[in-house]
Amino acid sequence: MTDPTPSTPPPDVMIRLEGLAKRYPGQSADAVSALSMDIRRGEFVVFVGPSGCGKTTTLRMINRLVEPSAGRIWIDGEDVTDVDPDRLRRRIGYVIQQIGLIPHMTVAQNVGLVPRLLGWDKARIRDRVDELLDLVGLDPAVFRDRYPKQLSGGQQQRVGVARALAGDPPVMLMDEPFGAIDPITRDRLQDEFLKLQERIRKTIVFVTHDIDEALKLGDRIAIFGEGSRLAQFATPLEILSAPADDYVRSFVGSGAAIRRLGLLRVADIPGGGTPPSDGAVRVTEDHTVYAALEKMLESGTDRMVVGGNGRGERSLTLRDLLLAAARAKGEPR
Amino acid sequence: MSFLEYVDRNSDRIAFLTVQHVEVVLLSVAIAAVIGVGLGLATERAPRVRRALLAVTGTLLTIPSFALFGLLIPVLGLGLAPTVVTLTVYAVFPILRNTVTGLETVDPAVIDASRGMGLGSRQRLMLVRLPLAWPVILNGIRVATIMVVAIAAIGAAVRGPGLGELIFRGLSRIGGANAFNEAMSGVAGVVLVALTLDLLFVLIGRLTTPRGLHD
Repeated sequence: MTDPTPSTPPPDVMIRLEGLAKRYPGQSADAVSALSMDIRRGEFVVFVGPSGCGKTTTLRMINRLVEPSAGRIWIDGEDVTDVDPDRLRRRIGYVIQQIGLIPHMTVAQNVGLVPRLLGWDKARIRDRVDELLDLVGLDPAVFRDRYPKQLSGGQQQRVGVARALAGDPPVMLMDEPFGAIDPITRDRLQDEFLKLQERIRKTIVFVTHDIDEALKLGDRIAIFGEGSRLAQFATPLEILSAPADDYVRSFVGSGAAIRRLGLLRVADIPGGGTPPSDGAVRVTEDHTVYAALEKMLESGTDRMVVGGNGRGERSLTLRDLLLAAARAKGEPR
Repeated sequence: MSFLEYVDRNSDRIAFLTVQHVEVVLLSVAIAAVIGVGLGLATERAPRVRRALLAVTGTLLTIPSFALFGLLIPVLGLGLAPTVVTLTVYAVFPILRNTVTGLETVDPAVIDASRGMGLGSRQRLMLVRLPLAWPVILNGIRVATIMVVAIAAIGAAVRGPGLGELIFRGLSRIGGANAFNEAMSGVAGVVLVALTLDLLFVLIGRLTTPRGLHD
């Protein structure tokens, strides 16, 4: 539709926002002003910031639930700023905190709604529904014909995620999807969703006000300040190691060095090789440094044996760990 | 003659008038339903017009029905026409009001999610909003029906069809032979029709409320 212009994004960019702005009628200030960012294909980007910072408005401009006042939006190489919004939205998964399952439709009808709009035949829709329910950890035989109000909050949001994935959209927009769910279930849903993302590799834009959720989930995190100022857009490790300014530092809060340990894996620590010694704790290369350190503190030892992942065994000391943690400061992941 | 004897001897006439009564009520409510739901949908983007309509139709309810029937004689004459028009006028308000309420009380999160999935405004209305508003709209139709069953009896004042004829004739010659029985049979018929239609609506409600909305 549009001619390739100098601003047409390269193929590895899935979402490009260019000078995006929103001012609501009757307001003297922009809700979002002149925001530009590129989100890469398959990337999990988290928007985080205090309420009123424009993160949700920005998210809702990507599928044009909010029409931008200025600027352009590209998705998958196409300028979608002026395309038919309903057709655009069928290609973009959308998950919200309040879930919004349609109460008079069964789980299968909710999940199958977008495929139905896309004109799929019934057999294909049924297969897709079962596949997706499996994917989000709900047994299709049990849940297919249930109604939303027969489900727990956690189950409803699994259905919400399945529904957003139904048309196999390349992009998912998630507005605090786990915000209204109890902490234990939320933690489990986050873990499951990360595993799911490893398989499906969608381009995800995820809004939260919880910095810990952002650090846990995001490949990159966009920290919004007042008036939609993009204070920093970087990996979790970069944000913890090298906060761009005092605002980011205070938003991330205390304990950055400790929290960094949760982002490092034992595999990231070089060296070792001393033969296993008595009294050492056993960990795997996949453990976070945080978990490994905790094991050492619990057993009162300064030594651990790392096994698994076919690398053979090696042993690391507390000192190796501390050096690695210090080195990680300022280095991108 | 006892009341039951009276009813027994005049059962043909009473039955005929009862059927007429039901017919004129259902006809009027059907027209009012089309108008009420239609106006409710048509004014979605015109909240001022909607408020004005609710005020006007609500005010019409305060006109005594006997007066309204009479006022329509110069325009519509006697018989079926003024009866149906009057009953329709009364039935529009509860249906319009419940249509508006039903649509307004649909969970905004459900609407937002539906928009976000790519349902256009028409699809949102047909697939999501109307089914969810339906139990409330139906209740408006039910209230309108019960109300109009009673008002229809007054229609006999303009020679309208239905059980009102028994009441008016009976009352006009009270003290005469079987006058009380005649009026009573009309009143009993109206009450019976109202109760029956009410039950019918409960049944329709059960059958047409989407399963996911049942408690």
